[in-house]
Amino acid sequence: MMNRRTLLRGAGVAMALPMLEAHAVKKGPPPRRILAICNNLGLLPEKFFPTTAGRDYTPSPYLELLAEHRSSLTVLGGVMHPDVDGGHPADNCFLTAAPHPSSGGFRNTISLDQFAAQQIGHLTRFPSLTLGVNASSQHSLSWTPGGVLIPCEEKPSALFRRLFLKGSGQEIADQIRRLELGRSVMDTVSDQARSLQVNLTGRDRERMDQYFTGVRDLEHRMEKSRQWEDIPKPTVKVKEPVDAKSASEYILKTRLMYDMARLAFETDSTRLVTLMLDSVSSPAIEIEGTEIKDGYHSLSHHGKSEVKLKQLEAIDREHMKLLAGLFRGLKDAKEEGGALFDRTMVLYGSNMGNANTHVTTNLPVLFAGGPFKHGQHLLFDRERNYPLPNLFVNMLQALGLEVDRFATSTGTMRGIDATV
Amino acid sequence: MCLSGPPPIAAFVEKHCLDCHDADTAKGGLDLTALPLEPKVFDTWAKVHDRVRDGEMPPAKRSRPPRKQATAFLAAVAEPLAAADRARDAAAGRTTSRRLNRFEYENSLRDLFGAPWLQIKEMLPEDGEAFRFNKVGEALDISHVQMAQYLAAAEYAIGEVLASQTVRPEPKTVRYYTREMGSFARKMKFTEFNRSPERATFPVLGFAGQADVRAYKTPLTGGPTDREEGGMAVVAGAYEPLEPKFDEFVARQAGRYKIRLNAHSIWVGPGKAPSWWRPDLDTVSRGRRSEPITLYTEKPPHQLRRIGAFDAAPTPTIGEFEVYLLKGETIRPDPARLFRSRPPNWHNPLATEEGQPGVNYRWLEVEGPLVDEWPPAGRRLLFGESTDPKQLMENFLRRAYRRPVAQAEIDSFVGLVKKALDRGVSFPAAMRTGYAAVLCSPGFIFLEEKAGPLDDFALASRLSYFLWNSSPDETLRSLARQGLLTRPAILRAQTQRMLDDPRSRRFVDLFLDYWLDLRRVNATSPDAGLYPDYYLDDLLVESAAEETQLFFAELVRKDLPARNVVSSNFLVINERLATHYGLRGVDGVNFRRVPLPAKSPRGGLMTQASVLKVTANGTTTSPVLRGVWVMERILGKPSPPPPPSVPAVEPDTRGATTIREQLDKHRSDKTCAACHARIDPAGFALESFDVLGGWRDQYRALGDGGPRPPGYGKNGQPFEFHLAQPVDPAGDLPGGGAFLDIVELKRLLLRDERQIARNLVRQLLVFGTGAPVRFGDRAQVEAILDGAGKHHGVRTLISQIVSSELFRSK
Repeated sequence: MMNRRTLLRGAGVAMALPMLEAHAVKKGPPPRRILAICNNLGLLPEKFFPTTAGRDYTPSPYLELLAEHRSSLTVLGGVMHPDVDGGHPADNCFLTAAPHPSSGGFRNTISLDQFAAQQIGHLTRFPSLTLGVNASSQHSLSWTPGGVLIPCEEKPSALFRRLFLKGSGQEIADQIRRLELGRSVMDTVSDQARSLQVNLTGRDRERMDQYFTGVRDLEHRMEKSRQWEDIPKPTVKVKEPVDAKSASEYILKTRLMYDMARLAFETDSTRLVTLMLDSVSSPAIEIEGTEIKDGYHSLSHHGKSEVKLKQLEAIDREHMKLLAGLFRGLKDAKEEGGALFDRTMVLYGSNMGNANTHVTTNLPVLFAGGPFKHGQHLLFDRERNYPLPNLFVNMLQALGLEVDRFATSTGTMRGIDATV
Repeated sequence: MCLSGPPPIAAFVEKHCLDCHDADTAKGGLDLTALPLEPKVFDTWAKVHDRVRDGEMPPAKRSRPPRKQATAFLAAVAEPLAAADRARDAAAGRTTSRRLNRFEYENSLRDLFGAPWLQIKEMLPEDGEAFRFNKVGEALDISHVQMAQYLAAAEYAIGEVLASQTVRPEPKTVRYYTREMGSFARKMKFTEFNRSPERATFPVLGFAGQADVRAYKTPLTGGPTDREEGGMAVVAGAYEPLEPKFDEFVARQAGRYKIRLNAHSIWVGPGKAPSWWRPDLDTVSRGRRSEPITLYTEKPPHQLRRIGAFDAAPTPTIGEFEVYLLKGETIRPDPARLFRSRPPNWHNPLATEEGQPGVNYRWLEVEGPLVDEWPPAGRRLLFGESTDPKQLMENFLRRAYRRPVAQAEIDSFVGLVKKALDRGVSFPAAMRTGYAAVLCSPGFIFLEEKAGPLDDFALASRLSYFLWNSSPDETLRSLARQGLLTRPAILRAQTQRMLDDPRSRRFVDLFLDYWLDLRRVNATSPDAGLYPDYYLDDLLVESAAEETQLFFAELVRKDLPARNVVSSNFLVINERLATHYGLRGVDGVNFRRVPLPAKSPRGGLMTQASVLKVTANGTTTSPVLRGVWVMERILGKPSPPPPPSVPAVEPDTRGATTIREQLDKHRSDKTCAACHARIDPAGFALESFDVLGGWRDQYRALGDGGPRPPGYGKNGQPFEFHLAQPVDPAGDLPGGGAFLDIVELKRLLLRDERQIARNLVRQLLVFGTGAPVRFGDRAQVEAILDGAGKHHGVRTLISQIVSSELFRSK
């Protein structure tokens, strides 16, 4: 424990360790994490996708900006969410892969992060974090099993307070009471199960045993969540961030959210973070060195106008630089002697293959970090796309979940190999 | 060699089987010398029994065993098999005790709280299935995730039920004028995001366009007749980015509402030559036909729920609906026949050189929430007159549980409430905790059945979860309390009452969802390249599912013969399906029963669009997959699973070879041929139907290979497929004769009406009892069939099932 503290300081990361990290970092398998980011206007495909595939691919103009991370990331080509069509609303499905988001009777399904949180959420103070940039309260990447949107946190300062500052006495008391009541409920129903069990035999008894086990497991998880309320929140040396003043500071906002996600992982406050970069709802944004004259959405409908394409490319390049910074930060942050990046899977992509024509095929996707062999451009059929949900299965398995499908997956993704 | 069993078995096997099924040859992997007549291999013996009974073994080329010998053999094999099942029934019952599935849980909460609008099932994990249904104990697992969701769902339901206002709401009717809705008005303006007339709304006054308003020279609102005679119109369906809605109306609380939409069809003039297919939004006149409007609720972001449909005639038409709305929902209309513009360079497929159709919306009127009783039933149940936790909890438990409640159970939940009160929780919150506990307790989520005949309460539950997918109502409970439900005459009468009740639609829908996979009707979508005429056609798919539900409901309602499953002389369709099926004279979105025209290949389930869609993948069809499906679901003759080493036959979308040619190659292998001869024939006949059940004489293919037919898809993109190889729908039923097409196949299948009915009974028994029909249950299945008369009316079959011992015992 001391080692880690020293290491972190040594690495120059401006933070102190949570006092109770013994609770946070458990023995057993190392903690694994997911950060999933969707930029709902995507990237200019001709600048993003490399023209050659495989391990010795020639980097595209955009990927040159990520050259330092080449060996830690995989570029995916020829992937899509099957049957997720219908233009902009497809961003609701980036992590759910629910088909036909624009058609009649559409109802969303559980998102990747929430699915994982059901299994590993109790291991950290926050089962998951849902973040957004320029996203309205009715937009995010996280959806409950019932297909209900989880509103995103937009303000880095508020997020910082939630993560690192003590809640009010009332808040804590309410939370404790809620969890204790939940446990009492489980106690009561398991009592009944026990009394019913007496008269059961064979298969009927097995069924009741399973109920009993389900109740006990849930109780255990509630107990774990309850314990968090007694454990002081971690303290960090960085100051509470100052929120951006306007939506035009899109780049700053994104950088702050990347920083917050990293801090949340470093302190093991959560292992699951989603971030919706709502470019569609963003105005003309500020980019150093380039004057952006039109709204982000408007630029994306560039109609091949040179003027617009130039501005759009400047924004895209800024996205790449932000990612490079995020990856660097995750590499510099150490946990138990290794880079945090090796335990953190970062999925960066879009629901739009080409925002100019609103196609939802050939999605631009970067997959970086975590326990995978990276360093390739994994290209599938650009005519008949390969299902992206397959990658989600790899990611869930890397979290240690026994899962063999997610949404419209057909298996794990061909060509993605784990390091161990 | 060790032949076991009673003498008739040994003698028969020796004489008729061992040439092939001895240790040396063991044809088909079966060595009868090593097959003792013991419980662990009874399944294999059951297969031996059936092959001999059906005359498939010994094979035709061998000498037939004398009838008497065969009968003695069959009886000798059957006896120990049936006896084993009987012994198991006596000890533990046929079924495994099970929890409610998520449909049942949702309906039970809705009925308990008198809140039919509650949406619960999506909150719960998907249920496991066994023997095709979500009603079988072995597959209905429980994990901590399931428990957490039960708790969340229970708390949510209680919260929603109590969220309705504490003061009786005044009935209120508000009219929302389209021109005053920002969502409609904004889309009139052309911006950098839209410069296309197809993606804009436009003003219509009376039946004429308003160029000056569109040019922003005259205001959209404020004119003397703008409200009542004005409207906003579209020439395209509701789809991104043109999705106008009445968003100034948002349901303040969940409940029942009456909504009226005033709309009419219009005709929009052609654009300037040569671009006649672009609409001239200023040249508007009366519509030339009615236009179907589908109504959805919408909750941001983009969560849609279908609530109904009506036809907007050329004269203003008011579509009126009584619906349940959830808090936060608004109303979004979709002119469902109109095209949906997808980039690039779309071209409206409905456009002609004279113009194109459109729809004008005038206003939406909302009345509600409609209150039938005050205080509402749910609130009364939860916090009635009493403030005594004990009394409240006792009352709640008696309503929630489907059997008598033990005092210890009441005490236990009251104890929980008291614990909460001791922790300083408010009285209402403490009660709510107690109620939530009841709704996740085994007494609520498990169907409790004890081996042997079901008692009155267990029978009431089995009956109501069979025919209503929900808990028993007060009538059933009262009969159970009096010990009357187990009386045959009363049970029969109750079955009829329940089938006559609208709640029986829940049975129809869920049964079909699993029996026919109807729940997967949206699982795949038609390929945009091969089937642009179907792609994005929500009205077609919605209609397809409804057809099957209404058709089966008709069989139940009118007690029509089970053979209608294979072939019927009527259809239940609307205009969209009539067009799809190539029939005339059916107008509008409403469904109606029509006689099947002579020579139509339709009629029965197999040729309905829904079934043909769920048995295809949106791009191609496979006679193997459809054949397996028909054998298993319709004819009740399931095939063994394919050997793992054989790759599936992949249809060729380039059109070079037909699936038939590929399969013929596959079938030339003798080991494959045996099964495929049984599986494929029905699939061959169904090759006449494409991925959405449209009739075809030729396959469609992509790529080069033929001229592309002229035309544009529903998405406005030009057709890019061409017609390729002809379809060959002929085949040979093993032992059943040759057929040229689907019509002849149906005729052949109708020769064994009893088998069609038998399969239906077997499927209903799994659904109704939660266990499959085993060897020992077969005699009872035959008795059910015997009791249902010559024609095996579907309603009579259901009634016979309920009266059977299989249904009345665990």
